[in-house]
Amino acid sequence: MSDREFYFEDVEMGDDIGPVERTITGEQVRAFVGLWGGDSGANRFTSDEAAIEEGLPGAIVPGAMNVGIIAHAITGWAPNATLKTLDLVFRQMVRHNVPYQIVGIVTDKADGEQQIECDVWMEGPDGTRLVIGKATAVLPARS
Amino acid sequence: MTTDGIKFDRSLLGVEHPIGTIEVTGEMIEEYARVTGAADSSVASPALCSMFTQTITRPDIKLEFGSMGLFAGEAIDSLSPIRSGDVLEGRTMLKEVYAKTGRSGKMVFTVWETSFARRDGELVARVRESFVQRESKRQ
Repeated sequence: MSDREFYFEDVEMGDDIGPVERTITGEQVRAFVGLWGGDSGANRFTSDEAAIEEGLPGAIVPGAMNVGIIAHAITGWAPNATLKTLDLVFRQMVRHNVPYQIVGIVTDKADGEQQIECDVWMEGPDGTRLVIGKATAVLPARS
Repeated sequence: MTTDGIKFDRSLLGVEHPIGTIEVTGEMIEEYARVTGAADSSVASPALCSMFTQTITRPDIKLEFGSMGLFAGEAIDSLSPIRSGDVLEGRTMLKEVYAKTGRSGKMVFTVWETSFARRDGELVARVRESFVQRESKRQ
């Protein structure tokens, strides 16, 4: 996570966001599921056996948790940014205990609105992009 | 994309359903930040709304297809900061149902849009979620 402040003028198209490495554990998934009051028993998010019973390869990370992790990768890169939109497509399942990287690149800047647009994705150890999408964020101006 | 031949309750399309209220607490914001790896903040990540949608009980659209549902995508529009003490009223609506055929066969996508507003009516976020329904590989 970055602790320096970013200003709109500091950001250029092509700037990298991250990579942020995250290995999501079963314990973290259970904590997340508990936050929304979800089923704390064996299910596709918390149990390999329950996931396999559903035809999945093993326990998966909830999509909503991935949304939060990717959102925080952006605001961790620029803590004073305000995330305006986040649009994600889940192409493959995100599994527990795998070292994933959340990566982004700035693709556009809108001067009048101090808004940046970026591509963001979560990739596996082999570089496969499991979650892909776009985000927009507003940054304060230096002047 | 096509809707031909998909059997579901079409009367639900475009109809808003109230999903109740959510009181945002500082503890909720902190715990969400901790679990998802964010820095502490008094302002909640707009992605918090993604978690709120997990609590929704949606009307059954009586989709007659597939045996396994998965999260396919999500788009969040953050319209106003969410803070501790906010009481948000949620409404959800079936936006569309469509089919696609890919390498693994036919899939049916269901898209729901959920909005969260303060009690004075100010919208704070809109979340569009896509779910894909497909045949289980075990069958």
